[in-house]
Order: sequence, then structure tokens, then C-alpha cells
Amino acid sequence: MRLKRVYFEDIRLFKTTASLVWTLLFLLLLFLVPFIFKTYYLSVVNLMCLNVIVALGLNILVGNTGQISLGHAGFVAIGAYTAAILLQAGVPFVFTLIIAGLVSCLVGAFLGLPSLRLEGPYLAIVTLGFGLAVMVIIGRMEMFGGRMGLMIPRIDLNWSGLSYDRTLYYVFIIITILMTILAHNIIHSKIGRAFQAIRDSDIAASVTGINLVHYKTLSFAVSAFFAGIGGALWALYLQFVTPGTFSLMMSVLFLATVVLGGLGSVTGSVLGGIVMTLLNLQLEKVVTVPLFGDLIVFLSDTIMNPSGIANIRWVLTGLILILIILYEPHGLNGIWLRIKRYWNLWPF
Amino acid sequence: MIVQLLISSLVTGSIYALIALAMAIIYKASEIPNFAQGEMAMVSTYITFVLLSTFGFPFLTALVLTLTFAFLLGILFEFLLIRRAKEPNLLGFIIITLGFQLLLFGLAGWKWGSDQRTFTLPFSESEVVVRTSSFVLTEHNLASLIIAMVIMVILYLILNHTKLGLAMRACQQNVGAAMFNGIPANRILGITFGISSIVGAIAGILVAPITTLDPTMMWDPLVKGFAAAVLGSMKSLPGVVIGGLLLGLIENLFGFYVSLEFKSIVAFGVIMLILFIKPSGLFAKHYIRKV
Amino acid sequence: MEILVVENIVKGFGGVTAVQDLSFAVSKGEIYSIIGPNGAGKSTVFNCINGLYRPDSGTISFGGRDITGLNPDKIATAGISRTFQNLELFSRMTTLQNLLLGRHVSTTYSIWQMLTFNFRNSKAAKQEILQREKAEDVIEFLELEPYRDRPVFSLPYGVQKLVELGRALAMEPDILLLDEPAAGLNHEERQDMIFWIQDIRNELGITIVVIEHNMQLVKDISDRVLAINFGQKLVEGSVEDVLRDQSVIRAYLGEPAL
Repeated sequence: MRLKRVYFEDIRLFKTTASLVWTLLFLLLLFLVPFIFKTYYLSVVNLMCLNVIVALGLNILVGNTGQISLGHAGFVAIGAYTAAILLQAGVPFVFTLIIAGLVSCLVGAFLGLPSLRLEGPYLAIVTLGFGLAVMVIIGRMEMFGGRMGLMIPRIDLNWSGLSYDRTLYYVFIIITILMTILAHNIIHSKIGRAFQAIRDSDIAASVTGINLVHYKTLSFAVSAFFAGIGGALWALYLQFVTPGTFSLMMSVLFLATVVLGGLGSVTGSVLGGIVMTLLNLQLEKVVTVPLFGDLIVFLSDTIMNPSGIANIRWVLTGLILILIILYEPHGLNGIWLRIKRYWNLWPF
Repeated sequence: MIVQLLISSLVTGSIYALIALAMAIIYKASEIPNFAQGEMAMVSTYITFVLLSTFGFPFLTALVLTLTFAFLLGILFEFLLIRRAKEPNLLGFIIITLGFQLLLFGLAGWKWGSDQRTFTLPFSESEVVVRTSSFVLTEHNLASLIIAMVIMVILYLILNHTKLGLAMRACQQNVGAAMFNGIPANRILGITFGISSIVGAIAGILVAPITTLDPTMMWDPLVKGFAAAVLGSMKSLPGVVIGGLLLGLIENLFGFYVSLEFKSIVAFGVIMLILFIKPSGLFAKHYIRKV
Repeated sequence: MEILVVENIVKGFGGVTAVQDLSFAVSKGEIYSIIGPNGAGKSTVFNCINGLYRPDSGTISFGGRDITGLNPDKIATAGISRTFQNLELFSRMTTLQNLLLGRHVSTTYSIWQMLTFNFRNSKAAKQEILQREKAEDVIEFLELEPYRDRPVFSLPYGVQKLVELGRALAMEPDILLLDEPAAGLNHEERQDMIFWIQDIRNELGITIVVIEHNMQLVKDISDRVLAINFGQKLVEGSVEDVLRDQSVIRAYLGEPAL
């Protein structure tokens, strides 16, 4: 007996009317943000968008395909610098964005090729080396502005009739939504299934007809594409790029974002991107939290050193990473699913 | 000039080799690439510094206390974090070590990060032991080489000629079988982390006078040490030592003859090339899972 | 008609020869069993056939086409599917997803068509629905309905074996290689497995090659049996003949004491 006759229900974006309604409400809220909040908060949301996009891509590689990348900042840098050069040359934004994504994608495919037979620490060191190499090469080459970096001109957004900041906000939001849908489709299509198959057992994947070379390379390329788009937006957001931005630390933080959000899930990438951005911006303000903040100030004054208190950010990020792995391996997505289940059953 | 290059290659190479050894000991025992290794060494180095400068201990006392600290740090790391992982898989372990790395980095920055300090050892970088027309050998060079050599010999003796080493090797090969034979595998892993942390700390103390004492001081050496370990295939201890020396040599020769600017990344080019040909490093058979 | 022909294959692992000059042929529609003591090289033969190992010499042809040394995914696409001795499942995915992966090769839409995946009338959505129907057919055939949406690592061992069989079946292969399908199953599950294997041949017309230690199962299902030891053919023939053969008995029980 078949309970589900219409299989399309399992494919479509919104599985229930309720989820459609909630999504529309959420979109409405996003639409209204520029009219409610100050410009500063718009730039916070923009930063979230960047992190979400990169996390979506990295999650496909790490969470779905089970490969490790410690060099994703390299792809972001490639996207950002491509965008910077193209925008300086006056190429329209839409093309810039796509080209930045594609250049990064191509490099991703190239990095994917030598990585096909590698796993675990071997893959980790190759990606890590890649990230560092990109940083060094960009920093030493004249055409990329060397250590000083490149300035990026503002793009033309006058067509909207709104202020630059508001329009930029909408541009970021729309791109992020499109990228989220793209990631969702990849994961739920046969391509995503093949990725997950490789993660679970590459031997079984190959005997079910999955071409390992093709799909591993594809996974790197797709992931790099997302990072490239994220990088292009990064260039637009900061208005200047320097090689120092795209450090090993950035790669580590991206990995942290994905783990915090929840491996292998689109919701996880989105939640991770949002929360990690907030943490990065707000962790230094932890001293203003009652009790906990006081404790930290007290520690600072007694055992530690008050002038180094900004480093509390790394301490807390590190703690969060460890606690997530130890107590909530499915990350924020796991917590989210539990809340949803609870509300579905409420009030029972 | 070539002699001078060889000396500096040997010195940097043996420091890389020490870090590589520290990582490889843990990797052999648990398949965990320990990214916190560098930061553990950095914190230990700061401990030496504080003991020397603030408390004015004699160097040897400070060293012994530091190594004890390093040993305990390693054991605590294993006991409090690694052992508690619920769904242990490679990625999870990597994240834990990265998290611990950030934690230590933040703590060190919080406590000591505000200003750079110079770190002086009884063997200095500026005192020359041998000077000829073709090369200069400083105290620090000589001490680094001797210390690295001594550590390697001690490690070799521990692993191959003590009961502890036998137990460690048993756990590396088959944890289950080791436990059935009455070896407390968990405790052995903890001790492994402790020993590895000691080796790392020594590397840190040797690195500090060359760079400056700073929370980021171990980033580059760690990455290079890790690269050296991978080059020599994480699981063969003689392999990672050769990997370290090779890496030091490649870097210094490239830096002198080709380009100083790209010296820091040539290692990765070489590693990519080697892994492309031998996916598990120079000194390992590529392992194919049996089905 | 011979669908799978293995000729003089040799496969060694650094000094140990696992398969030595082995030849056999499987006819279309038969159930062909390979037996032999542990370490006789049975699984190695399978690994050579489906491309996980490349034989040192010899040829393997399938449906008249030489497939020696092709990659596993090419061989899978050509129509050979298999199961594994110690289960190789996509353990964190659900039963349904495992079966859909069996449909991977037949799911024909490009990465560009995937972009329109969410629209009911797109090629990708139609393909997904079609493949889902095929996967549901397998679920129905093997009675896996209760386990459809559960991740397979959480299923009992016997059910996992069925899911793996289902995944191989979902590929709609011409020939199915089963590596110890009854290993680890209890008596009842083993009887079921015999029933499924016969059904697969009789109803779906799929040729089956089985490696098995359980002689009851071999007796019940086999049309022909090949006995090997130390990677070499001992004897090939009907079940009765092979199991009575002195060389086979010696291979299993050792030389009689003098």
C-alpha cells in the first residue's frame, strides 16, 4: 500500500502550506528591515548574507560530500579580487558577480583534481596550503595591489530610487535567497545524493555508478562557486580588499560557521552564518552582559590582562566549537529541529 | 654559502621535524591531526618565559617545570575534550582541536598578547660558536640541532625499548586487542598526548628566540610541521623526521636561489606534487580499504 | 547464452596470488554459485568483475563486451550490480535515498536542468518522480515500507542486507553479484533471502552470481556451482556433483588423516 501518491510533494520547496506562509512572513520582514532599523543594522545583515553564502557552499563540500577544506578563504579571496578588478574596469555588477563565481569555481575544480585520492589530514594540508598560497601570491603581486590591497568603486544603484545602502541591502538579500535555493536544489537532487553517497561510502558510490572523479571535482567546484560569489559581495561590502583579510583564521571561522550551524543542512548553513556573524560582532561586548561580563572583567583585572580583553572573542569561539561537537553534533539545525518537533506536538 | 644554507636548513628542518613528530605521535595513536599542537607549544613557551623573567628561576628549573606543565596540558586536553566526543569522526576531532587552538590562542592573547617580548635562552642567536670563511654556526643553531637529536633518540628509546612504548605501539595497531590484553588504552592515549605536548613545547622554546614571543608565533611552524608530517606520511616516525628535514632544505634552497618572497609557500607546491603521486606521503603504502 | 565470461584472470597482492588463472562463464538467467573455503579468492573475483580491482592479466567480458579494467561506475552503468560481504550502505541516508542512489545512473537530468527542480513540469522534477516510482516498486517488492524514511544505520542487520539488495535491484541490472547474502542472518531471514533470490531470477529475469558459505542456500538456489581454492578452479558443475567431489571435500575439511 502506498501512502504517498504524489511524490512531487517531497521535491517542492515548501512541503506544507504552513512553511510557505512562514517563509512569506519572513521575507516580508526582510523587506521591511530597511524601513525599521538604522543603516548600521543593514550592514550587519549584509555581513550575515556573505557568511551565509560561503557557509552554504562550504557545507556542500564538508557536510554533504565529507571532504575537508581548511582553505576556503582562498576561494573567497579569488572571488573578491576578481570582483575588485572587474568593477574597477567598469564591468557591470551582474557580470562581475557571475564571473567572480566562475573564476573561483574553476580554481576549485583544479584544486579538486589533485585532491581526488586524498583524504583526512592529507586533504586538510593541501587545502590549508592552498589558502595560504592564495594569500601570499595576492599579497606579492602588483596587479592585486600587493599588501595595500585594492579599492572598489561603488556600483551604480541609482535605478532603484532608494538610498545606496538600502538598495545594496536588497541586492544582498536577493542574491542570498537565490543562492540558498540553489544550495537546496543541489542537495536534494541526484547531484546532492551522489555527494552524500561519496561521504558515506565511496566504494558503494562507485559501484552504484557514481563517477567519483566527476562528483568530487564537482563538489569542490560548486563549493568554490559559492565562495567566489561570497567574495565578490565581500569586496562590495568592504569597498576595499587586502590579502590579510583572507587568512587561515578566516578559513577556520568558516569551518566553525558550518559546524555551528549543522553539517549537511541548508538550514544549518543559514543559521550558522547568521549566528556566527552576530558572535563575531558582539563577542567583544560580552563584558556588558550582567554577571558573566562582570566575571570576565574581574578575571581580566586579577589573573589576566585588561588590555588583552578583545581576545575573549577567540576564547568564546573556541569554547563554542568544542561544546557544539561534544554536546550538539547536529549544531543549531539540530536544536531548531527539536524546537519544531516540540511545537508540532504542542500543547501535548 | 652552501654550507651555511645546509646549516640553516638543518636547523629549521629539525624544528619542523620536532613539530611533525609531535603531531605524528598523536596521529598514529588516534588518527587525529592535532591543530592545537602549535598553540599548546606557544602557551608552554610563555610559561617558560614567565618562570624565567617574572619569577627568576634558573633555566633548567624553568625548563623542567615547563615540560611538566606541557605534559599535564596534553593529558588534560585528551581527558577533558578528546575523550568526551560523542560521535567521534575525523571532522569532529579536527574541529575540537581547532576549537582548543582558538581557546588557547585567545587566552594567551588575553594574558600576554598586548605587547611583544623578546625571549632569551642561555644559548643565544647572536653568540657564535664556529666562524669560518664559508659559514657561521651560532649557539642557538648548535643547541637546536643537539636538542632535536636528543629528543628524537629519547622518543625512539621510549617507543622501542620500554613497556610504555610497547603499550603505545599496541594501541596504535589495534585498540580493541590492546584492551583485551589488559592495556588501559585510554590512559595510554592520554600519555601519548602528554608526550607529544612535551615535544611540541621544546619546539616552541627553540622557535621563540628566532621569531618573537607572540601568540601567533607557532602558526607558521605548525603549518610547516604538519606539512612535514604529511610529506613523510603521518604514520611513519622516521618518515616525518625526514619530511621535516626535507622541507627545511627545500625552503632554504628555494629562498636563496629562486625567490625569497615565495619561500613560505613553496613547501605547499612541493607537497601537492608529492601527494599527487603518492597520496599517503613518501613513506607509506597507499591504503586501500578491503571490501 | 553466456552473459558473463571470465577468462584466465590473475590477481595478486604483493607476492600473494589471490586469483590464479581462473576461468568461468555464466549463462543468462541462471543462478551461479561460487563456493570455497575462507581466503579462496571469491571476493577478489567479484572485485575484479565490477572493477574495484584491476586484474593483473586475463579478460572479463559482459554481454560480448570487454569490460576488463574499466572503472566501477562504468561497469555499473553497463548493467552489473552487486552487494558486499560486510555491507557497504550509505548509512546516514534513508532507505529510500539508498534506493534512489541505485537509480542514479538512470536519473537523466543535467546540472542545468537541476536548477528548475522545483517546478512540477520541469524535466528534473519529472525524472525525480519517475525514479521515485521505480524506487517505490523495489520497496514494495522487498516489503521495505516500514523502513522507507529511516536512516539505514538504525535498521536491524537483516533489514540492512535487504536494503543493500534493494539498492542493487533498483539499478535494474542484467546481472547481480551477491557476496555472501546469507552471512549474519538467522534461520528465518535466511529462508526469506532464498525466497527473494529465487524471485529476483524468476520474476525479474536477472542473472545472479552468488558467493556463499551456507551450503543449504547453495543447494536450494543454484543451477550450477563453481568451487575454487587458492584462487584456482577445483570443479564446476551441478550442485550434487560439486558437493560430492573429493577435491572440494578436501578443500573444506583438509587431507584425510592417514
